[in-house]
Amino acid sequence: MTLRTAGGILAQVLALAAKDLRLEWRNRSRIVAVVLFGVLVLLLFSLAVGPDSRALVEASGGFLVIALLLSTTLGLQESFRLEHADGALEGLRLLPASGAAIFYAKAISVALTLLLLGPVLAPVAMILYIGEVALGGLAQLIGLWLLAALGLAAPGVLYAGMTSRLRSQDVLLPLLLYPLEVPVLLSLVKAFGLVLRGDPMEQMGSWVTILLVFVGVYWLLCGILFEYVLEEGT
Amino acid sequence: MPAAAASARAEAREPTDAIWCEGVGRRFGRRWALAHVDLRVRTGETTVIVGANGSGKTTLLRILAALCHPSCGRIEVAGHHPVTQRTRVRRQVSLISHQSFLYGGLDAFETVALWTRLLEAQGEPPVGRQRIAELLDSVGLGHVAGVPVRDFSQGMRKRLSLLRAAIEPSRIVLLDEPFAALDPPGQQLISEWIGVFGRAGRTVVFASHALAAARQLATRAVVLQSGQVAWSGPAAAMPELGQLPALRAAEGR
Amino acid sequence: MLKRALKRLWPGIFGFSGLLMLLVGSTLALSWAPPERHMGDVSRIFSIHVPVAQNALLVLLFAFCFAIASLWTGRRRWDAATTAAVEVGVVLTLLLLPTGMLWARPTWGVWWTWDVRLTTSLIGLILFATVLALRSFVEDEGRRATWTAVTTIVAFVDVPLIYFCVRWWRSLHQVQSSPETVDAMMVLPYRINAFGVLFLAIYLIALRSRLEMRRLAGEEVAPPPRLASSTAL
Repeated sequence: MTLRTAGGILAQVLALAAKDLRLEWRNRSRIVAVVLFGVLVLLLFSLAVGPDSRALVEASGGFLVIALLLSTTLGLQESFRLEHADGALEGLRLLPASGAAIFYAKAISVALTLLLLGPVLAPVAMILYIGEVALGGLAQLIGLWLLAALGLAAPGVLYAGMTSRLRSQDVLLPLLLYPLEVPVLLSLVKAFGLVLRGDPMEQMGSWVTILLVFVGVYWLLCGILFEYVLEEGT
Repeated sequence: MPAAAASARAEAREPTDAIWCEGVGRRFGRRWALAHVDLRVRTGETTVIVGANGSGKTTLLRILAALCHPSCGRIEVAGHHPVTQRTRVRRQVSLISHQSFLYGGLDAFETVALWTRLLEAQGEPPVGRQRIAELLDSVGLGHVAGVPVRDFSQGMRKRLSLLRAAIEPSRIVLLDEPFAALDPPGQQLISEWIGVFGRAGRTVVFASHALAAARQLATRAVVLQSGQVAWSGPAAAMPELGQLPALRAAEGR
Repeated sequence: MLKRALKRLWPGIFGFSGLLMLLVGSTLALSWAPPERHMGDVSRIFSIHVPVAQNALLVLLFAFCFAIASLWTGRRRWDAATTAAVEVGVVLTLLLLPTGMLWARPTWGVWWTWDVRLTTSLIGLILFATVLALRSFVEDEGRRATWTAVTTIVAFVDVPLIYFCVRWWRSLHQVQSSPETVDAMMVLPYRINAFGVLFLAIYLIALRSRLEMRRLAGEEVAPPPRLASSTAL
């Protein structure tokens, strides 16, 4: 790849990401609904566990991550519904826009949208489960949330790009995505727990490492594979 | 079908041909939407594809635009293979389809700006705001440049997607039923644009039911029936669809 | 002549010898090898559990390689091979769980525990099972081949990440014993079984991918006869 085509792809990513973010913004009532859905899931968990506040504190990280995961699924499906309505995505391929550029633009916009969930879901989880908003590990929390958004976005876009063309997309996307995200979910649950309850054994490093490796591998791998997913196949 | 017989039917290929197909077919599940299609379009020609609903017009145009893969046959579009060299083919081809390929959430101006920015990223010259406004005026959408495409009627969408073919630096323009869903001025506009594309030296292939317009605009015509070429020749000599002799199976007679 | 016969028969040869080796190896493991010092007779399950585990991973590695070939070439043959290998890998992983449980119950006192390898195998099983599930939802053959390959590649890359992640999450499973620390008479039946399972797996993959090729061919229909046209060129 020459420098010029690399620059061309970067320019395409920027143009497409601007388009994706603009569409997300125009569709912001939908984002609000997704955020509300996440809050609702958090509330349901606290009802399911019951009034035992200790159990709630123990599991708070896990509940937060599950709420994020469920909201992600909804957001991804909506995002690709817009792409397929009236064949817009196909139109981009005809222009022709590069498959990698379409992928990275979409992944960036999905990750940014997920990032927006953080300032709502995290404080709500803290209030519901712990009873107070702890601002101690704020920087760490933000960093972890960023990794979570990146880790969910790349495989999410790849698989939503596939399943959104199928009739059974509603069940297939979670089926494919959730088992794949196990490393992200486990690391996040542990890391959130460490932030909230302290890290005497200094384990945070290993969880951040696995998140970084996951994000790195999947942003590269899915970017390569998305090109194939878009095409009809040979 | 022996290969020798198949190639004897197809016309010899010349390097100047814009489109050249031999024995092209496409199967969806157990149904062949297209079969045994031999087609040759010379550069700069305007060709019309005529056929009833479900006769394979859309499939053929999608194959030529490298959106749909042929199940069999040999094919070249602008000198490239639409499956293995799809990016090159897409660079040379514009497709105006039933689907508008538009984002409902963007307005007309933003839509055109997105196209020009993506083309600019591939080395085309940049297009200014003034020029985009002129382009929108040229298809009669100047006064609704800021209206989201979601609120457009079918005809307005078609006008906007027509601009794509005008902006793209492609040598081949494919139009799928361009006259459908348009008011008489809109149909007039499409006819004019097809003429403009032709005079600019671009190869035009369009599918249509409007036989009168087809005879007037196109130099050559291809009639598709049940996914096969039933007739091809000069557009002026094209028979009415009802007058075409009933197709018989060639084998088993 | 001989070459053609060999081409047709080689999976059968693998299958037969694999079955034979499994019989010999298992008989040896159950009767000839001495019981393990600490665990007693229970440890005999290892002579089948460990070969199945290793071969499951190996078969999924095959699937990964086939998937790359399928994506690269677009040939139906590689798509059939990928599907076959994923299916055999799923079956082997399915076998892994009960044989592991048979060992876990007397030793750890529970049928199931969230330790590294159990968790990784279970999630791996689900991951590859969803590849097969997705396949059944896609009608277009080209798309089905591409998506099978893509999901197989992604799932395979995920397995080591899951492994490390779960290892840090919780660990209980015993460290794998290197053959040196195990009685030599236990090693021989295990080795025989390892190759037995491998040969059997190769047989099944070959058989299954032939079957898939036939199924794909069965989906195809010949194009309709060419119509007589009144072509006036």
